Amino acid sequence: MSKENKIIYGIYGDEEVLLSAVKEARERHYDIQDVYSPFPVHGLDPLLGLAESRLHIAGFVFGAIGTLTAFLGMTWIFTKDWPIIFGGKPYWSVPAFIPITFELTVLFASIGMVVSFYVVSGLGPGVKSKLLDRRLTDDKFCISFENSENSDYEEFFRSTGAEEVGVA
Amino acid sequence: MNHFEFKGSLKTVLLAGILIGVLCLGWTWMIDDHNHTRFWSNFLHNSVFFTGISFTAAFFIAVCITAYAGWHTIFKRVWEAISAFLMPGILLMAIIGLGVYFHWHHLYHWSDTAILDPSNTADFDKVLYGKSSFLNKNWYLGGTIIIVGLWIFFANKLRLLSVLEDNFEDSHFSTHRTMRKYAAIFLPIAGFSSAAIIWQWVMSVDSHWYSTLFAWYATASWFVSMIALTILILIYLKGKGYFHQVKRDHIHDLGKFLFAFSVFWTYLWFSQFMLIWYGNVGEETIYFKTRYDHYPVLFFANIFINFAIPFLVLMRNDAKYKFGSVGIVAIIVLLGHWMDFFLMLKPGIYETAMHAAPAGEAMGEHGHEVAHAAEHVSNFVSGFTMPGLLELGTFLGFLAFFLFVFFTFLSKAPLTPKNDPYLDESLHHHV
Repeated sequence: MSKENKIIYGIYGDEEVLLSAVKEARERHYDIQDVYSPFPVHGLDPLLGLAESRLHIAGFVFGAIGTLTAFLGMTWIFTKDWPIIFGGKPYWSVPAFIPITFELTVLFASIGMVVSFYVVSGLGPGVKSKLLDRRLTDDKFCISFENSENSDYEEFFRSTGAEEVGVA
Repeated sequence: MNHFEFKGSLKTVLLAGILIGVLCLGWTWMIDDHNHTRFWSNFLHNSVFFTGISFTAAFFIAVCITAYAGWHTIFKRVWEAISAFLMPGILLMAIIGLGVYFHWHHLYHWSDTAILDPSNTADFDKVLYGKSSFLNKNWYLGGTIIIVGLWIFFANKLRLLSVLEDNFEDSHFSTHRTMRKYAAIFLPIAGFSSAAIIWQWVMSVDSHWYSTLFAWYATASWFVSMIALTILILIYLKGKGYFHQVKRDHIHDLGKFLFAFSVFWTYLWFSQFMLIWYGNVGEETIYFKTRYDHYPVLFFANIFINFAIPFLVLMRNDAKYKFGSVGIVAIIVLLGHWMDFFLMLKPGIYETAMHAAPAGEAMGEHGHEVAHAAEHVSNFVSGFTMPGLLELGTFLGFLAFFLFVFFTFLSKAPLTPKNDPYLDESLHHHV
């Protein structure tokens, strides 16, 4: 344990054990660096004290931009830029715009949310995975702390039922 | 408090509500035209609305059983009790059917036998003659009894098996397996028969017009109303101290259904509207032209109330958790879909009444009132172009009757089923 910013982590084999370990760590006021899980664990977010994700707000904003883009875009195209009569309807035929407006709303919201998520999480093409253990993508869970010399993290991991303890 | 007791002030309030409804129906009868069009159309409107709500409850129980769903188990007795209203519902619709049979009313243009006689060249109606193998008085009454009778059979079977399961512990869940069979058989029957019943009960008031989407659109309206009523009933019962295991997560799921099926309803409404608007065929556009010209307030309010309000209010996650916001939207949407059925039924019935009037010099002095109204179509006609106070009173009466039947059946069985295989999942439901 000589290098700086080392990470110490404990691997758990069961989500219930993991949840009680996280609870214990919170009670001891440990500063949890991260928790890894192959699937979303129910009740983990409130235990970690994580704030609600703001991704859906981004989704709403992107969706609203999509709505406006489609609706105002078609309004401009069909009334000012290139007015054509379709099927004897008026130039500004709102009902005909609705399906395209809906589609662009969904398209903008979904692409916008994916891009926001990638940017916020630091993901992207060519980003190297910082996976602590390959099994964390399969059937193991882990809690990681930033290690310091005088910590009792090892004792914590042993007492809360971790199967292995590792450093990275 | 696992057993609901139906007594005291609730019973008094509901009986008073039924009395208001009866008084309003009676008053409507007194001030009505010769055919009692307003009375019968209000009767039809509310009977269809509440019978449909109880049908969708039975349908949704079957869906949940077939889909191995467990989230609703602790309050499934609410849906079972709602589906029990099918039994009064068949009586209400049979009264309408007998009315068609014996010409007590003239709600349906096709029930006029003079237009179906090919030798009567002046009045012969080729379109309605073509439809007369389906739209005739025998099938109206017979079909109503057969189809709603089938619904009652399956709804009762599912409810009684669910109650039976309570005192019948069995590691193989044989009762639940039997329920699953009945539910799976019921689903296709419900899907096809509900469409047929909507054609004859609702769509045939505009007897020349048809739309293939109409049945789905009306069923979606019933379904949203059923979810809204369930939410209101659960909030009420929780306030009275029952159903303490029903947590905000269950309300959240119901809120999601309210949100999702409001959007689904809008999707169907718009799909029907846009194709007819785009196709621009006179026989089809007449349906929307009537409503757009003579019912503009209801026409646009319908979309605003039933789409914009649930969509914008319930969009946020926490709005679906809070009893206040979900409850208010449920009340608005319930009234909104009642109004939606008003808009489906009244224009066609009014049109039929107007056509009937000029022909009937023999109809006596009352016939002229309708004929007079026909000259001023754009005028405000309370009870036809807008729900009047009598309509609201009748709605309250039917709602009270519906809740009276509902609470009676709810008190007959424990509120939370004991041996349902999904009970544990439902108790730990978490979203």
